[in-house]
Amino acid sequence: MTNWWRFVIAAEIRKILAFRTDFWITFVGQTLIQILIARALWQAIFESAGKEVMEGFTLHMMTLYYLLVPIGSKMLTGENVGFLSREIYDGTFNRYLIYPLSFFQYKTLTYLTYSAFYGLQFILVYFLYLIFQGNGITPSNVINLFLGASLFMIASYAYGMLAMFIELISLWADNIWTLMVMCRFFSFFFGGAYMPLNFFPMWLQEIVQFTPFPYLVSLPIRTTMGLASTIEIATGLGVLIIWAILFRLAASLLWSKGQFRYNGVGI
Amino acid sequence: MIKVENLRKIFESHIKEPGLKGSIKALVKREKKIKEALKSVTLEIKQGEIIGLIGANGAGKTTLVKILAGIVHPTSGTATVLGFKPWERDNEYRKQMCLIMGQKNQVWWDLPALDSFILLKEIYQIPDAIYKKNVEFLADTLMVKDQLKTQVRKLSLGERMKIELMAALLHEPRVIFLDEPTIGLDISAQKAVREFMKNYQREFKPITILTSHYMEDIKELCPRIVIIKEGEFVYDGALSQVQRMMGDEKCLTVTTKEKVFKVNVPRESLAKKTSEIFSANDVLDLNIHDPSIEDIIESIMKNGMKT
Repeated sequence: MTNWWRFVIAAEIRKILAFRTDFWITFVGQTLIQILIARALWQAIFESAGKEVMEGFTLHMMTLYYLLVPIGSKMLTGENVGFLSREIYDGTFNRYLIYPLSFFQYKTLTYLTYSAFYGLQFILVYFLYLIFQGNGITPSNVINLFLGASLFMIASYAYGMLAMFIELISLWADNIWTLMVMCRFFSFFFGGAYMPLNFFPMWLQEIVQFTPFPYLVSLPIRTTMGLASTIEIATGLGVLIIWAILFRLAASLLWSKGQFRYNGVGI
Repeated sequence: MIKVENLRKIFESHIKEPGLKGSIKALVKREKKIKEALKSVTLEIKQGEIIGLIGANGAGKTTLVKILAGIVHPTSGTATVLGFKPWERDNEYRKQMCLIMGQKNQVWWDLPALDSFILLKEIYQIPDAIYKKNVEFLADTLMVKDQLKTQVRKLSLGERMKIELMAALLHEPRVIFLDEPTIGLDISAQKAVREFMKNYQREFKPITILTSHYMEDIKELCPRIVIIKEGEFVYDGALSQVQRMMGDEKCLTVTTKEKVFKVNVPRESLAKKTSEIFSANDVLDLNIHDPSIEDIIESIMKNGMKT
């Protein structure tokens, strides 16, 4: 086994950097726009409610939450989610069958490279926020950030395996776009990307705990913000790992059956 | 060595009636269509041999290549390439073969070729010295030295094909599957690719299977051809032999006011057929000649082999 994985990561980073305009728009523009919209929206909500704290969130905390959500979501979905089904559809998937490597390993690496890249943005933006707020960077901030970013990486792996499982369904049904959209919507909605889970009714919060979704977005962000307890973090980590293993096994099973159906269309 | 025995492949697809009614009906019930792409074919190719796989669109040649490259599983029958079953995708096998597809890119589109090559070097575990030697040799021979640092998507079609060839041959494969390598290329690029493949075959002696619709590719590169028709091999032998086997035929090229057409006619009925043509058409010109290799293969693909 050589260290080809290092070169896959390097190639993926080169791909990210290949388009300057897109890079700056994604890295800076998108985050700025999202934060401005979220800030204006929640300021209006707080003002109209006449409250300083809502479900345990102040306006500053809510701003930070919505600053971290888009970057965390990008870590989660990367740029490669959706590619596999497209490659199966148009036949470019052939290359992974010809090269002497495991396509699972290759795809996971390319996927996690994007996650790690956005992880850097996550760290940078968080530090900038702390400096901008005048709070300074404390050791506890650094520890929380490290834990939160690590949870996001594991969550990214779990989401990647879930996405791979769904994408492999395209070996049976050519077009799985709707399934991917549903997967993304459920992950983000029940993951707390659209609004913190504290705003959900209690019965729904309890049900959602049995799914992987709250551990994909909400938990890593709350950990980064220092809002999650050690027990919550430890439990969340365990649950994430179990879901990741289950999704990986399900994807392998699907591939072991589906590969007989693949006909390499497009060549 | 490639050994194929009674290889069969059946594809399943669905039929949809045209129009809105057909679309709605297909939502509930779809009719299956079974296509036997390969009908129990048998073939043997020795190390160092290059064969041309010829057939009309949908004849089954790409299916055979896909099975031998390990992309597709066969329905029944066996095939071994260098002692491996291709569809088991053993890494030891994959390190020794390559598939070059004229219509599909395998190198990374957004990266310069050299970046893709570095990645392939690691994937195929090519030693440094061999990698350097091969990049230099291939870039020189294919005349793409100046294009190696440009994003692949910005290269011309011909340059991209050459880069694809380089990428596929960096690891010195012992088995090469070439699927339409000159498709869409201009005449000089076609010539360059053919010349390169000829030299490469002489130097490295891989097993090569070439599928192409361009007879020039076949004539230049393949002393042996296999003609495939509707999933069955109708001829497997020397290219020169085909011409000899069909040697008792003459080809008539007839020019009328409306059209130009060709007819292959057995030598003994030449006089009869010629007079028939004169009486049925307003002939401006008629030329009698030996059929070209293209005519012969076209005739075999249409009518099968003469017994």
